[in-house]
Amino acid sequence: MVLINSVFCKTKVNLTLMPSTQAISAKNLSCTRGDKLLFENLNFSIVSGECLHVTGENGSGKTSLLRIIAGINRSETGELVWNNENALVNLSFFAACAYIAHKDGLKNELTAIENLRYYQQLESNNSNSDQNEEALDEALDRLKILQCADLSAQQLSFGQRRRLAFARLLVSNFSLWILDEPFTGIDKNGRALIEELCVEHLEKGGVIILTHHQSLIDSPINAYRKELKLSELDGS
Amino acid sequence: MNTLTLYFRREWQLMFRNTSSLIQPLTFFIIIALLFPFSLPAENALLQRIGGGVIWVSAVLATLLSLESMFHSDYHDGTLEQMLIHPRSLPLAMLGKALAHWTATGLVLSLFSPVLCLTFNIPSDQIWVLFAGLLLGTPSLTLIGAIGAALTVTLRRGGVLIAIIILPLYIPILIFGAGMLTQATQGLDVTSQLYALAAILTLALTLSPFAIAGALRVTIN
Repeated sequence: MVLINSVFCKTKVNLTLMPSTQAISAKNLSCTRGDKLLFENLNFSIVSGECLHVTGENGSGKTSLLRIIAGINRSETGELVWNNENALVNLSFFAACAYIAHKDGLKNELTAIENLRYYQQLESNNSNSDQNEEALDEALDRLKILQCADLSAQQLSFGQRRRLAFARLLVSNFSLWILDEPFTGIDKNGRALIEELCVEHLEKGGVIILTHHQSLIDSPINAYRKELKLSELDGS
Repeated sequence: MNTLTLYFRREWQLMFRNTSSLIQPLTFFIIIALLFPFSLPAENALLQRIGGGVIWVSAVLATLLSLESMFHSDYHDGTLEQMLIHPRSLPLAMLGKALAHWTATGLVLSLFSPVLCLTFNIPSDQIWVLFAGLLLGTPSLTLIGAIGAALTVTLRRGGVLIAIIILPLYIPILIFGAGMLTQATQGLDVTSQLYALAAILTLALTLSPFAIAGALRVTIN
């Protein structure tokens, strides 16, 4: 059963329910970039409602780890398990996984709403165009960028682009959010908004893996947080 | 919406917003082809003889020029990463993208080729031969070229490398395509060349999307 609490009910966006328990674990992952060993024998395990906060120095492999989890890069050893199955050969894992990185995946030639519509069409099988358009407007409104809906992505500020990238999470039903430095370039209100979205997602039974170079102790996400610290290795 | 249609429509939408991607290959094609009549002796027979080959080589070069940008912006803005991790079929997505790219380059070049034929004094009964050849050959040029574009997407100046990788693969298409017009000039049947181009296109349509997808996965990793 999915926990629907008062926070969740505040948003009308994306009310599709997720399966009750989601779990992702990594066993013995390793990553080398060039001659440098970034990490090896890396293990973690998180379940619904938990947030894995990956920390470490610059160059310790945080982004590389996220790219391995998202399936963009391959780990040289070990495996990633999603709901008791090998994640990287499991289409349901990729359907459940959203990856928001430094590169925001937005096209400068398209307006904010057109960019969002593309991702909605990619994910959704709902052919009701009125409902789809309503969901787009609600997602933009939730991220406080509805007034930018008809501006091209090129005209948006960095922070507005980041918000637009996050709006993608609201128009589809992803269980696992993989967020690479989600608060970079976002103002205080924007950060609070994204933290609120993360908490709602975790309350719904979602899973989040994020990197952030600063402490999250004062963040509302802290209550759901597990930390994974990557330390620099001298391996070659 | 199915994957092929979705990516085809999206590519078209992006190309229409960025009209230079539509205009550049056609302009390049016309300029290259027109340089030959200006630089050669004004002999009708000579121009007629080389016209087909010149138009084909111009089409190959114009296609090459357009290929470098095929995945460039997708790579830099992160769209490509999103495509790679999406459960929708990457080969189908790549096929949709390549077909849209062809309609904006190869198809436009093919449609404009009869006009260029006039500058080479190619007889009107042979113009359709060249047109049909280009119509069958240019999609193969795009699909095969896209493999090179995918392999070089992370390189800063991959254009030269694309040419080195891909031009040798274009030779059979060039031989059959330009050969058609030579055959037609001699009054011979061109059906075999048409079949050969159709066979290459069938191979390109079925195998290239997988090769493009594989190349992207290897390159981005």
